[in-house]
Amino acid sequence: MTETFVIVGAGLAGGGAAATLREEGFDGRLVLIGTEPQPPYERPPLSKEYLRGESPFEQALLQPVDFYGENGIESRFGVRVIGVDAAEKVVELDHGERVAYDALLVATGGRNRRIPVPGIDLEGIYGLRTVADSDRIRAEISAGRKAVVVGMGFIGLEVTASLRQSGVEVAVVDRNTVPLRRVLGEEIGLVVAEIHRDHGTELIFEDKVAAFEGAERVERITTQRGHRIECDFVVVGLGVEPATELLAGTGVEIGNGVLVDEYLRTGVEGIYAAGDVANHYHPVFKRHIRVEHWQNALKQGSVAARNMLGRNEPYGEIPWFWSDQYEHNLQYAGFHSEWDELVVRGSTEVRNFVAFYRKDGRILAAVAINGGRDLRRSISLIKAQEEVAAATLRDLDFDLRTLAGAASLR
Amino acid sequence: MAEFAAVSGAGDLGEGEMRAFDVRGIKIAVANVGGAFHAFDDTCTHMACSLVEGDLEETTVICPCHGAEFDVTSGAVLQGPAKEPLATYKTRVDGGNLEVEG
Repeated sequence: MTETFVIVGAGLAGGGAAATLREEGFDGRLVLIGTEPQPPYERPPLSKEYLRGESPFEQALLQPVDFYGENGIESRFGVRVIGVDAAEKVVELDHGERVAYDALLVATGGRNRRIPVPGIDLEGIYGLRTVADSDRIRAEISAGRKAVVVGMGFIGLEVTASLRQSGVEVAVVDRNTVPLRRVLGEEIGLVVAEIHRDHGTELIFEDKVAAFEGAERVERITTQRGHRIECDFVVVGLGVEPATELLAGTGVEIGNGVLVDEYLRTGVEGIYAAGDVANHYHPVFKRHIRVEHWQNALKQGSVAARNMLGRNEPYGEIPWFWSDQYEHNLQYAGFHSEWDELVVRGSTEVRNFVAFYRKDGRILAAVAINGGRDLRRSISLIKAQEEVAAATLRDLDFDLRTLAGAASLR
Repeated sequence: MAEFAAVSGAGDLGEGEMRAFDVRGIKIAVANVGGAFHAFDDTCTHMACSLVEGDLEETTVICPCHGAEFDVTSGAVLQGPAKEPLATYKTRVDGGNLEVEG
């Protein structure tokens, strides 16, 4: 009897999983379901080159439009899954269709966090997650207009940079003392803040939006500390919540996303998860982590697909991502929540460095600004969880590839 | 008919090294893989970063900005985010000079 695999979520993880299943020779029925009308596409350009009108949408597509039909992948784009019956092994779609599955991959990603602030429903206030969101923001962009960006996470920062590069005046409000403080710490956050200040962005820290005001459209924001900022539009970037509600009642354990083991399996037979929604056990960090980035979605989708075919392949990629802001390229690799020492290789002043987050002498993670080569060389050090002397890391003449951890993994 | 242009002494580019040269206005990278010279566009097809600023691992060049990987012998994309292959160019060693067709 022909097997049916169903993938819910047609982003990078879901779309990549569908392609991998066919590449790996799966010849059963394959159904790919996504809420957006477009076939799977990559999201990184939405806050950067696509938002600035520098690259067409087609360039973001994961596969050519015809790929799915040509490969016998039944697409249900613009369709929402409203429930999963794990006992009957059926997914229920919002247009009434029911699809029985033998294996189910949940790759539903996340949705933007909303803030309960007065005026949030005024026109001219946007989040950014989809190409439709990016199009709406893009329609607001023209030189000399004024925007407020709420939240200096990666999306807020990238949007801010794109807006400034397009001639829009930008004021940013963030509750912390520097951007990305929770992720990168005070010292590196300050470097990022200075980059934005140098590009003429007004930075308002340790403050929160009190209200969005205007008749029908937003005209200004007020903050809890009394700032009053006139604006033509607002972009809110306050992070993402994993989209897990379709699994209610299935017995799949939910906790900061869908909990899966290192094989990306949930505790319910036949159900897998990958991408932003998956809180996966990571064999290097020996804990569950949830990652909201491109490489994780791409590679996890493929590994989940192979495990649906019975491969038993653990997912142990070191998380890695980039964030381009103005002329600067920021990259991060690893995973850290706390650290006791930050070792900087290079110079934060000239914005050319890799900084290592260490705890008990071990490198947990690294961040680079305009230091991509050394950042990539650090990934094997992170994977090896090895102790490396701080002086060695700081020595620019020392080739990181020659360290034992790096050598043994090659 | 494209012509060969001398870019460097053949002995100046060691094994496992790569370097970019301006060949009639185009930045062309040359990698020495086990004594064989492979020439390709230095400009990544994804976001135009210089590939010689990245790493060369055997026949794979890794972009320093976003991690795209290309096969230096064919220009083929081995790993995204790049989607378009690199142009490649013929090389030859003539009288101790490394020459690139371009």
